[in-house]
Amino acid sequence: MRTSITRGIAAAGAVVLLTLGTACSNEREGSTGTDGGDAKGFAKDSLVGVALPAKTSENWVLAGDLFTNGLKEAGFKADVQYAGASTTVADQQAQISSMVTKGAKVIVIGATDASQLSTQVAQAKQAGATVIAYDRLITNTPDVDYYIAFDNFKVGQLQGQALLDGMKAKKAKGPWTIELFSGSPDDNNSKVFFDGAMDVLKPLIDKGDIVVGSGQKNIKQTAIQGWKAENAQQRMDSLLTSTYSKKKLDGVLSPNDTLARAIITSVKGAGKPVPVVTGQDSEVESVKSIMAGEQYSTINKDTRKLVAETVNMVKSLQKGDKPEINDTKSYDNGVKVVPAYLLPPVIVTKETAAEAYANDPKLAPLTK
Amino acid sequence: MIRSSNLLEMRSITKTFPGVRALADVNLVVKEGEIHAICGENGAGKSTLMKVLSGVHPHGSYTGDIVYRGDEVRFHDIRASEHAGIVIIHQELALVPGMSITENIFLGNEPRRRGAIDWKTAQRRALELMEQVGLQEDPDTLVKDIGVGKQQLVEIAKAFAKDVKLLILDEPTAALNEADSQHLLDLLRGFKRQGITSIMISHKLNEIEAVADTITILRDGRTIESLDVKADGVNEDRIVRGMVGRELNSRFPEHTPDIGEVFFEVRDWTVKHPSSDERLVCKGSAFTVRRGEIVGFAGLMGAGRTELAMSLFGRSYGTYLSGRVFKDGKEIQLKSVADAIRHGLAYVSEDRKSIGLNLLDDIKTSMVAAKLSKIARRRVIDPVREHSIAEEYRTSLRIKTPSVDEGVVKLSGGNQQKVVLAKWMFTDPDLLILDEPTRGIDVGAKYEIYGIIQRLVGQGKGVIVISSELPELIGLCDRIYTVFEGAITGEVTRRDANPELLMKKMTSITKTATP
Amino acid sequence: MSRITELQKNLFGGTTSNARQFGMISTLVAIVLLFQIWTGGLTLTSGNLIAVVSQYSYILILAIGMLMVIVAGHIDLSVGSVAAFTGIVVAKAMQEYSLPWPVGILLGLAVGAAIGAWQGFWVAYVGVPAFIVTLAGMLLFRGGNQYIGNADTVPVPTGFRDIGAGFLPEVGPDTGYNNLTLLLGLAACLGVVWREWTARQTRRDMNADATPLWVSGIRLAVMLGVIVFATLRFAGGRIGTSLPISGIILIVLVLAYSYYTRNTIGGRHIYAVGGNARAAELSGVKLRQVNFLVMMNMSVLAALAGMIFVARSSASGPQDGLSWELDAIAAVFIGGAAVSGGLGTISGSIVGGLVMALLNNGLQLEGVGSDMVQIIKGLVLLLAVAFDVYSKKQGRFSIIGTLMRPFHRNETATPVGPPNPASDPDKAQVAS
Repeated sequence: MRTSITRGIAAAGAVVLLTLGTACSNEREGSTGTDGGDAKGFAKDSLVGVALPAKTSENWVLAGDLFTNGLKEAGFKADVQYAGASTTVADQQAQISSMVTKGAKVIVIGATDASQLSTQVAQAKQAGATVIAYDRLITNTPDVDYYIAFDNFKVGQLQGQALLDGMKAKKAKGPWTIELFSGSPDDNNSKVFFDGAMDVLKPLIDKGDIVVGSGQKNIKQTAIQGWKAENAQQRMDSLLTSTYSKKKLDGVLSPNDTLARAIITSVKGAGKPVPVVTGQDSEVESVKSIMAGEQYSTINKDTRKLVAETVNMVKSLQKGDKPEINDTKSYDNGVKVVPAYLLPPVIVTKETAAEAYANDPKLAPLTK
Repeated sequence: MIRSSNLLEMRSITKTFPGVRALADVNLVVKEGEIHAICGENGAGKSTLMKVLSGVHPHGSYTGDIVYRGDEVRFHDIRASEHAGIVIIHQELALVPGMSITENIFLGNEPRRRGAIDWKTAQRRALELMEQVGLQEDPDTLVKDIGVGKQQLVEIAKAFAKDVKLLILDEPTAALNEADSQHLLDLLRGFKRQGITSIMISHKLNEIEAVADTITILRDGRTIESLDVKADGVNEDRIVRGMVGRELNSRFPEHTPDIGEVFFEVRDWTVKHPSSDERLVCKGSAFTVRRGEIVGFAGLMGAGRTELAMSLFGRSYGTYLSGRVFKDGKEIQLKSVADAIRHGLAYVSEDRKSIGLNLLDDIKTSMVAAKLSKIARRRVIDPVREHSIAEEYRTSLRIKTPSVDEGVVKLSGGNQQKVVLAKWMFTDPDLLILDEPTRGIDVGAKYEIYGIIQRLVGQGKGVIVISSELPELIGLCDRIYTVFEGAITGEVTRRDANPELLMKKMTSITKTATP
Repeated sequence: MSRITELQKNLFGGTTSNARQFGMISTLVAIVLLFQIWTGGLTLTSGNLIAVVSQYSYILILAIGMLMVIVAGHIDLSVGSVAAFTGIVVAKAMQEYSLPWPVGILLGLAVGAAIGAWQGFWVAYVGVPAFIVTLAGMLLFRGGNQYIGNADTVPVPTGFRDIGAGFLPEVGPDTGYNNLTLLLGLAACLGVVWREWTARQTRRDMNADATPLWVSGIRLAVMLGVIVFATLRFAGGRIGTSLPISGIILIVLVLAYSYYTRNTIGGRHIYAVGGNARAAELSGVKLRQVNFLVMMNMSVLAALAGMIFVARSSASGPQDGLSWELDAIAAVFIGGAAVSGGLGTISGSIVGGLVMALLNNGLQLEGVGSDMVQIIKGLVLLLAVAFDVYSKKQGRFSIIGTLMRPFHRNETATPVGPPNPASDPDKAQVAS
């Protein structure tokens, strides 16, 4: 009885075989595309695949909708996929393979884990597709063609500068006491933000104008696993207990809005005055917080612009043109330097909010 | 208006199960306010009768009438009979171990106030009921933390909470020690004074003699007689005669025993109950088996026969305390089932469905399961040998099946038992222990199994038969040991064996134990 | 017996419960055909078949071990975490101590064995239910993965990647196909023919009615057809691709474990323990040893699956192995294993796993989002098992039904036919 399934499989296969006939066309062909398939262009109604992480943040959902519409308007067939919430990496791998099977000419990837996609990217490349890393750089592979993102180093620099400006506004002369927070260690961008910020802050720390109260200056010490608010709040709680029972805290470098709000919650919970806290992403709650004078700054990275630029890139590839690139040396993924198109981020504080969000239907009313 | 003084009359109750008539024209009359004992051998129909009364076997599944408190009643389930004040307390207590005494007493019968359980009332009433049954415990104590005797009392208190008129106790003292038993019997007498009627099913004849007013004896699903204890001058011997007094007909194949030397001996075998700390299930048991001999073990349920057999078979039951086993003069160690099989022991369980067979298996797989190495080469099973061996047993044991590839679950009880026998014969044992080998098997198959047993001893093997059917032991065995409360209480040869003698020895500790 | 029923009986080998197997395989065929048509022929292209095999081989490898665990009456929730833990240990070891990759693989298997011994110890020798032990293991080894990897992703060297992403090399003359895959296909054909022949031989030795020759012929033709089709598909992919190495590992494991569970004493003991542990114990089966080995084996296979995944992803990351246990368990149950243990086959679980894999793949090719895919997979699992339960209720042989029924004391003497529904007229008390 235990052997019968094997036989059953055989029977099943036979049905398949008979149904399909032996129309067994050989797909054997040399690998194409490596010799710059993008230079030749492709049909205007070709399939463009977009593989995004799980629908865990508003931003990705918005990006997905924008891609679907933008690509359709440009005349492409769009296949936009999100990874499943619990099986992210494996799902995304399978989705990219499927896009390759379906013959996508360009595959835009917002990676769930930037270094676990090299097999799929290679597969895409061999099938002649162009791979664009969207927002997160895919590492450990020679097969990424382009990278498009906001200039995250610049984001970091702006955050560092904003922190400094905010503290100066409150207390003209140093030394200022600050704490550093950085993003999730499995996100490639976390380090870039942090490095950008340190690019501004490091000289002042070395001079002694800025003091990191807890002494935790290493990215490993400051990282917040999974970009999770509760983790940030926990770390801030313990910092307040360990270091700031007497000392005054002037500022906190926070890499994004979610963490910034968690930090502020923690400080308020401890009954301390709210320090200067930076942020990023222009989340609704944070914009409200900025307008209320609690969070100091955020960064406006307009998803609309980023998607629009990506679609533009696809369009140029379709025509066979070289897409526009503005950075050819900063983004080394471990195997090669990936040509990148970087959009400039914009810093937003209470003063500049009205102007920055003037065109945003959701945020503009908050700034009035 | 004249009311009959009979609380209950069951008239011409007949209950059949497919293939067997469990009750045939049974009559039972219980007078108001008496203690009425029902006696009979295992399988005589006592429990079935009580299940008919309590609605476990609903009205319509039996024929006959039940008249209760002057009216004919038709119970469709237990709730209906409980509503009428008839409460049955089973051998296996129906208590939730992790709940308190109070919670157990009112389980399914909780006093309510505005939809919620009224724990205050419950507590108060629990204390009253506990006093009534003489149970001194904190009502919040968890049932698992009190002894079996007290659990029994909780069960009775639970019955009282339901306003009981007729209390039925099925083997109430089977699991109790002497003191607890005595307390329970006193309690029954107390209930009698309060006007509560009790029916008690028991194997312990001395207890019955002590408390019962009337005794009804069942045998083979029929009412044999009803005895008035005082008027008829009933004693234990009188009850035993009623229980076993049937002719032994020739239900056994002809057999001339050819008995050899003692080859298997057990000394001082003492085993502790697996969960209870103080209870011994085997108390210094000692016995011998000769080649070519069928040795019987007689005893009532719970006497410790199965426990003795399983503890010998690789310590499969309880905790070993002491004892030595000799085979062919040499001491052997039986620490695991594998040891036991290696030393030529085989144990055919009394419960073939839950521990004797894997009901998912087919016939041939079951037959070779206890000694796969015999059909394997380098741990790989040879399907051809497996099949041919199974076919051999199918033929020699006359197992009725179209194919040895069929699932054992499709076989009748008798044929399943033959498969189990084949499984153990396949291990080439020297000593087979057969625990209730004919339970649940029709007469024809029984005869065949007796034949198989006789063939085995004919080959010079020893066979131990544990059985609750005295005629079976008397008809089959060369020698019979009686077991009572974990101790071997007697040894009777084929010549001397008669039901009265055995029944006496297996119901009391008249220590006539032999080596 | 009509020819049709004879054919069905012989093709599906069935004595009992072949309805279920027939149902599962029909489902698989239906899914393949549905998607083949729906996706305009993409499902059965070489590229897609190769992708499916390399994407799901690690889940199918887990399903092998899980089947044995479930047959023995346990469950293992920790496989995903064990896989992730092994992956990070191996990746780190190769990165920091520049361990050669073959040693890395051995290390991984050793880690799996050690974890398995740990879990097997608690299950078999202490008696903690496997559900609890492996739930603890799930947390333990997930945490271990993050602790060792700092929740970071660690790349693995190129040689190592071959076990997950590698293909057979191109050798020999240009035939328009991958020659090694062709050879494998040829070997498979020979193997199938040999097996059919020995099976006939065995039946003759048993003096059983030999399968009619024409049935053997059809069966053989069907199987050879499938193998030839599959071989050409896998050999005919893009140059540089073939049957994936991970697929070859899977096939070897399936063959080996099928043989083990079906034909050896050890395999029999697993079914015996799951079918009725007490009966097995009283038949001399070493219960603890069987439980220990089954749990340990599962972890070793989980370690292997983890390494294959890491190899395919070219890096070990903190999210590896998330909810793999659920996929593996689902495959086993769709493949007909009983929740209560004692029943199930390796090949059934592989079919179950393939149903899930092709469903997943087909839906993705159609561009159905992962949210809907999960909903559909959930329903498929439920319906597959519900179908099983339903068909058993319809009077067919039912394990659960049989077990739930009280012991009957007297049965009719008819050997065949469903057990009669007698309840016990008197107590059938187990000594206790």
